[in-house]
Amino acid sequence: MSNDDGLRILASTEATQRLSRRSFLAGATVTAVAGTTLIAGCGSSDTAPSAGAGSSAGPIEDQLNMYTWGEYDSPKVLKEFTASVGPKLQVDSYNSNEEMVNKLVATKGTSGYDLVVPTGPFIPQMVANDLLEPMDLTRLPNFSNVDSVYLGQTWDPNNEHSVPKAWGTTGYAYDTTKIDREMTTWQDFLDVASTTASGQVSILDSPDNVVGLYLWAKNIDWMTTDMTLLDEAQDYLVNTLAPHVKKFESYPGSNGMPQGSFWLVHAWNGDARQGILSSDDQDRWKWVLPTPRTEIWMDNWCIPKGAPNPNAAYAWIDYVLDPGVSLKELSYIGYHTAIKGIEPAAKEAGLDRLDIVFFTPEQVATMEAGELNDAQQKRVDIWNAMKAAAGR
Amino acid sequence: MSDEVLATPGVRKWRAPGFALALPAWAWFVLFFVLPVGFVILLSFGAKPDIFRPYSLEVLSFDQYAKALDPAYGPTLKNTLRVGITGTIACLVIALPFAYWLAVRVPPRWRGLLLGLVLVPFWTNFLVRTIGWQLIISPDGIASSVLQQLGIISQPLNFLYSRSAVLLGVVYNYLPLMILPLFVAFDRLDPTLREASKDLGASRFRTFTQVTLPLAMPGVVAGLALVFIPLMGDYITAEVLGGAKGNMLGQLIASQFLSAQNWPLGAAMAVLLMLSITVTGLLFALIGVTVRSALRRRRRIVIDTGEVAA
Repeated sequence: MSNDDGLRILASTEATQRLSRRSFLAGATVTAVAGTTLIAGCGSSDTAPSAGAGSSAGPIEDQLNMYTWGEYDSPKVLKEFTASVGPKLQVDSYNSNEEMVNKLVATKGTSGYDLVVPTGPFIPQMVANDLLEPMDLTRLPNFSNVDSVYLGQTWDPNNEHSVPKAWGTTGYAYDTTKIDREMTTWQDFLDVASTTASGQVSILDSPDNVVGLYLWAKNIDWMTTDMTLLDEAQDYLVNTLAPHVKKFESYPGSNGMPQGSFWLVHAWNGDARQGILSSDDQDRWKWVLPTPRTEIWMDNWCIPKGAPNPNAAYAWIDYVLDPGVSLKELSYIGYHTAIKGIEPAAKEAGLDRLDIVFFTPEQVATMEAGELNDAQQKRVDIWNAMKAAAGR
Repeated sequence: MSDEVLATPGVRKWRAPGFALALPAWAWFVLFFVLPVGFVILLSFGAKPDIFRPYSLEVLSFDQYAKALDPAYGPTLKNTLRVGITGTIACLVIALPFAYWLAVRVPPRWRGLLLGLVLVPFWTNFLVRTIGWQLIISPDGIASSVLQQLGIISQPLNFLYSRSAVLLGVVYNYLPLMILPLFVAFDRLDPTLREASKDLGASRFRTFTQVTLPLAMPGVVAGLALVFIPLMGDYITAEVLGGAKGNMLGQLIASQFLSAQNWPLGAAMAVLLMLSITVTGLLFALIGVTVRSALRRRRRIVIDTGEVAA
């Protein structure tokens, strides 16, 4: 981030006018942690599109096809939804936003999916390319449960196409029985990856995160469009780091960590938490939210154009916006679900490893959101070249 | 029939032309081979305008080939050829004695059962079988704990996500495709030929190398092709067992279509993969033909008619 301004705040668009353009996400937890309703009610309920609302509503279909990130909903919640609301669920997963966008683009409205979960910055272009249906908030009675600090983000100022699903960050976890040193920074990650943990490292299979790994270590804005910096990143990632990588894996928590396949895993916080919780010896793993900078992302429920079962999609979104259901989701996926009061509720319920789910204002201040900019293709090229070079 | 024609002069009986029988095959060939492959070739000359369009054919160029031939992808091609050739040879070495034993030594009443057992893996999905291997060879898997208990290894098995793991996977997945054509080839051989060879004084080894094997050559060639061609394009085995080290071209192509959303680059890579399979295949065929003709020349028997007459 080039124009770094100490404290950042997640606020509605009116508020963001007073703040820098990209300082949207951070301070979210500042208010959340303080446990106040400081910004609550800031222009959210009056933004719902009213025209035609309800006219398209009908009986809930008996099928719901979801295209989402891996391990991103509690299996229990999926089952209970079918039992209590009706639609049978089919859940497919993707590794990166690019992959999901590609499928929607390629099928031109015939993908058959009713729900997708893009990360914020992808939404404006998805809307511009006519990939998303408008979101009728009047059909979501539970929408009022969403903590308003997460509404009205820059990518969808009036929540006309999206509803917050969860937010999180990127860090890493390491096996303390194999790596006998304290690790706190991204530079530590790179150092250990190319020495002690060489050949035992897993890296996120996602272009932005691969490039971010290097840029964060060097304390550079990970969304930089400076080609010299990106060439440096490419040189390091392809020639220095790639030979030490064991696998490019977006979900090391599902298999790799419990199987003991890796010593050092680059992971999204919720996935790292799942991996730690499903390992036989949980103390073996140490989670690190690395300094000096890292990512913050927020994923959002969206209904793709041509969704065959829109009513079921609305029913699902409304279902998971229920605080009780949301807590079950959080307990499994390990990400903040953007529901009012979810943090105290999770603490009260005594859920495991909440240190990997909720972050302090100081931690959140080091996180910066991604964007879809001119360097996108370059980041994809670097990721391609690194994957090819890893096989040498 | 000719009587009939003669009886009604001027009226020709209509007969469907012979190639009509081949129409379904031609339709299949055009619809499922020529068209898709043609489209892939066309696509490979296209370009990728931006992230919301996977391809554009407005300007055709060789740009994607230049990108696909980037030295960065060299290691992947080398890996793929290595796994393809080693895997195919390993399948042949394992399948040859087994197929011979099954076709020649096993009593006929057991053959059906054993052949059925060879096909048992096909009852399960390819992906599921491969994931099965992932569970077996993972550091906390069965193989690891057995080897550790036997004292053969002291650390958990570090085999998953390596090139060798991919090799194991492809040999397992493609072995039946080698066994079946070899079995058919050996099975069709007339046993009397082997007897004749023995009667003429050939040892068992000589009978096998000079009578049985040359006659079974069509089966060997069919097996090699059936294993090598799909193996080179395989990406499931490498994806599940290979990790970063055991990557293959199939994965790279799949990721261009699925993740990087660069269809023209993926298509150019696919065309290059097809070319490299063809070139490798032709190269081996050439070696095979050369060796065979050399052997034939050496073993040629010249019968001098003059002596026979005398």
